[in-house]
Amino acid sequence: MSVILSPLASLQQIANTPSREDGIPEDIEEDLRAYGCKLIQQAGILLKQNQVAMATAQVLFQRFWFVTSMKQFGIGDMGMGALYLASKLEECPIRMRDLINVYDVLLSRARHTLATSSVAAGASSSPTPFHYEPMSYFSQRFYDLKDALVVAEMQILKRLGFNVQVQLPYGTMINYIRVLGLADVEGVPQKAWGYLNDSLQTPVYAIYPFPTIAVACIFLTCRQLQIPLPEEPSHPWWSLFDAELEDITSICGYILRLYRPRSEAEKQLVMALVSKKELRKWLDMEQQAANRSRG
Amino acid sequence: MELNDQTMRSWIKEAKVGEGTYAVVYRGRHAVTGRPVAIKKIKIGQFKDGLDMSAIREVKYLRELQHPNVIELVDVFSAKTNLNLVLEFLDSDLEVVIKDRSHVFLPADIKSWMAMTLRGLEFCHRNWILHRDLKPNNLLIASDGQLKIADFGLARDFADPNPGFKMTWQVITRWYRPPELLFGCRHYSTAVDMWSVGTIFAELMLRVPYMAGDSDLDQIKTIFRALGTPTEEEWPGHTKLPNYVNIGQFPKSPLNLLFTAASSEALDLLAKCFIYEPRRRITAKEGLHHPYFFALPHPTHPSKLPKVAPTTKAKPLQVDDYEDDMQTEIKTTYREKRDKV
Repeated sequence: MSVILSPLASLQQIANTPSREDGIPEDIEEDLRAYGCKLIQQAGILLKQNQVAMATAQVLFQRFWFVTSMKQFGIGDMGMGALYLASKLEECPIRMRDLINVYDVLLSRARHTLATSSVAAGASSSPTPFHYEPMSYFSQRFYDLKDALVVAEMQILKRLGFNVQVQLPYGTMINYIRVLGLADVEGVPQKAWGYLNDSLQTPVYAIYPFPTIAVACIFLTCRQLQIPLPEEPSHPWWSLFDAELEDITSICGYILRLYRPRSEAEKQLVMALVSKKELRKWLDMEQQAANRSRG
Repeated sequence: MELNDQTMRSWIKEAKVGEGTYAVVYRGRHAVTGRPVAIKKIKIGQFKDGLDMSAIREVKYLRELQHPNVIELVDVFSAKTNLNLVLEFLDSDLEVVIKDRSHVFLPADIKSWMAMTLRGLEFCHRNWILHRDLKPNNLLIASDGQLKIADFGLARDFADPNPGFKMTWQVITRWYRPPELLFGCRHYSTAVDMWSVGTIFAELMLRVPYMAGDSDLDQIKTIFRALGTPTEEEWPGHTKLPNYVNIGQFPKSPLNLLFTAASSEALDLLAKCFIYEPRRRITAKEGLHHPYFFALPHPTHPSKLPKVAPTTKAKPLQVDDYEDDMQTEIKTTYREKRDKV
């Protein structure tokens, strides 16, 4: 019927995401997606949530940015909404207040890191350790976050056309590893599993079918560990799992870009752009700067 | 975004037909084709707890399931802060049909309803979904007589029951709830739905609920009175279940004393739905292959099944009316509940 209903993004959506249409550069968008997912994962761990719910949340979060621009919603709020919704979907609901408190801690810590690092850059005073000031039970900050959470949950459902089914590739990948006879090769299952976890921070779950992602993680693992697998052009091993080399290398590219070393400024910029307000401010400044240099 | 608005405009709400704890149901139709539908508007904002779990389950599972004996989720859209589920419009349910005394049910009619229920249920189980709230008023009847399983507000997916997740035992309307849930079992499987199917089967024959207890404890007593207290051999380990209570010994009485008109195959199927040990209880798939469905008389064609005359139509569409207390019960934690018991 329509591209939005499909759980995978269309070519057009991939080529030009809503955020990019709003002028957000590609690398910033990728880093923001990754940072949003890291927050989801960190919040999930603090809440002792199941990994399945955290993974589902990250996939929903990744899908969401193919139908919505980061100028419209902040990655902090949406990550919170995704985790809340995914917890319900996976039958392990969490309390709103717990989730909000956890996100508040994480975001306050990020703000603290930013503040101290900019101070450190200016003056040589030693950075103060992070101290979290909990919200009071009826504080306005709590109610604001709660409203944002309810809105975020609904927006995810609405904009994804209520397609909230998420299939995770973990089981499939283990089966593939067994089929390839790699289950007992030291390091392979662990490393591949780790790549699957890391790939949650990339948009691949919204772009490629999950078996292809599993194949890509095995591919990357075997290249890293220098384990030869049959790659004759007529029948390479991945053809057994109906994967295409082009897709595999693209997924590997997404994953490896996560590990690219970032400068301090880049790291700080991503942390600063968690809310849509900051992102808009930054975009305006960028535009003005561009205009000035042109004029 | 545009898609949602487009969807919203294509469905027209007509009349309110029912209201439940978390939803209002309207009759509606498609703006272009005129296809009749039921629009279930989920109330949110009231509880300020985000979207209701039941609504999320319903959307999640019905989006996946498509079968002639499972209600069809035609569309979903949201308006302002409400979530609207567009469902197939079905004008009555099995409870209304059972209560309508103007019809006599032939054995073939009962067989037909049973076959449709089991077909729908087998499809859910095959897709790893437990319904967890089967009862006559969740079995809706279409105008062509087809029976459709509805209300997936308590449904959930299940995996291997051994190491798997713990699930709540506070599910299934009491009269249709199996003994393992009444004893607080937290690892269960498709067998819970099959017990409900058995109670529905019995209700179809008796025209009144078969085992109607007025509290959880009374429910256990009612079951044991009807079917006899299980021995350790019949149901190994049941005395170790969390909420086990010794109710006393009740003798077994053969089912044919109560179900005098039932054929021997019917009684055999019924007895197999009421096997105490959940692992030995008949499955939906086995049920469909039971001799009952191959013996004469053949099931009545759905279009020839007894229907409720329009004048006696009580409720056109059933809102999820699992009682308010069920809803809150589910929310209270297991430990709190057990302390109370």
